[in-house]
Amino acid sequence: MRTNTGAIWASVIALFLGFAAVTQVHSQDVFSRSLNLETPSSLTTLIANLSETNNELRNEIFDVRRDVADAQASVSSGTGTLTEAERQIAQLRVFSAQSAVSGPGISIRIDGGFDERALSDLVNELRNAGAEAIAVNEMRVGPKSYFTGTVDHAIAVDNRPLRGPWTVRAIGSPDVVYVAMTRTGGIIGQFELIYRTTHFGVTKETALDLPAQVVAAR
Amino acid sequence: MLLVPAVLFGLLVTLQWRTQAERSELSVRYNAPLIDAANALQTEQNDLKSQLAELRARLDEIQRNASSQSGAAKELQTRLDELKATAGLTPQSGDGVVVQLDDARNVSVSSRDVDKSICHATDLTDIVNTAWKGGAQAIAVNDERVVNSSSVYCVGSTIMVNGTLMSPPFNITAIGPQNSLLGAFDDPSQLQDIKQRRDVQGLGFRVTRASAIHVPAYSGALNVRYAEPH
Repeated sequence: MRTNTGAIWASVIALFLGFAAVTQVHSQDVFSRSLNLETPSSLTTLIANLSETNNELRNEIFDVRRDVADAQASVSSGTGTLTEAERQIAQLRVFSAQSAVSGPGISIRIDGGFDERALSDLVNELRNAGAEAIAVNEMRVGPKSYFTGTVDHAIAVDNRPLRGPWTVRAIGSPDVVYVAMTRTGGIIGQFELIYRTTHFGVTKETALDLPAQVVAAR
Repeated sequence: MLLVPAVLFGLLVTLQWRTQAERSELSVRYNAPLIDAANALQTEQNDLKSQLAELRARLDEIQRNASSQSGAAKELQTRLDELKATAGLTPQSGDGVVVQLDDARNVSVSSRDVDKSICHATDLTDIVNTAWKGGAQAIAVNDERVVNSSSVYCVGSTIMVNGTLMSPPFNITAIGPQNSLLGAFDDPSQLQDIKQRRDVQGLGFRVTRASAIHVPAYSGALNVRYAEPH
């Protein structure tokens, strides 16, 4: 009797172990499991995106490695690391929308009905296309910016209501950002189907001037 | 003695069961080399990110040591530290909320509703928008810090944040004033779509108060090439 109960328990535990072993194998492979569902065309797009991110990382590693070498050299020569710190401060101020910036890019004029969720999606899409600085009308979009609707159909950026027609300006590679917005099946095409009476005008720009972000009012 | 065959049996039963469930996924078997390439790139990316984090830490250490020498350097270092914190380059800890978002686990939803029962990129952007509105100071999506250049990108059913592959469940951690954050998420005018899909299609969506949460530093590239300060 005792041996039988023991054997049954051993089998139950073993069955469980077998189950656990398989589940473990699968859960380690979490990305490829979801990737299994993708079409070759989607996978190719994902691969292009991953390659792009990795290239950016490699460039940044190259730059920071040079910064480390420069900083070490300045320390040993006794000149200090002030210039290097200043350069970093300038870069971070641009990155976090704290300084006014200029550069090439695109502008999108939105004339007609539009809403805060669509604007948030547009900003997301611009960032995804590599936009380095974005402004809606005269409001610079910052790291913690948020979009809300108002009762009278204005869109508030960081609690400040902005009336249409809206102009969204983005600094970045004009060709890359323009194509990302206007390609077939892209966000502008989708907007044109959803907001049928609204006009979306996308233009490449050689020189844009965007203000620094104003501190969000709460 | 029974143990080995029983484990094998368990393995077989489970494999069989899973194979049935995943047959449709495996029908796209010819995708294998593309999937391998994507996974290899993601692994490479993780490695590049840790290399970059190490280099940034080394640069920080050199500057910090040098800045102890003069008053001007000390002042610059303080400004640099503040900016790094604002930009999301330093990890942050504190109280806040955790938002969990997951595909519906209920398999009985009709095919028409499948789209409503899974997480989309726009759900993540809506949640992040609501968290900033609620006064969040720092946000991460599955450990990817949300910074000024962050985007949520969707191809097919795969989601990328900061160019990193992700799959559900998503944990959105937001550090900030808890009552204000919870108030923003509870506001019936916010996230109506997500809340409705939670109630009807069983989409996983839960907001909980959390103490001493950790939001990692941004580990990606800064990419300032076209924008010039003036």
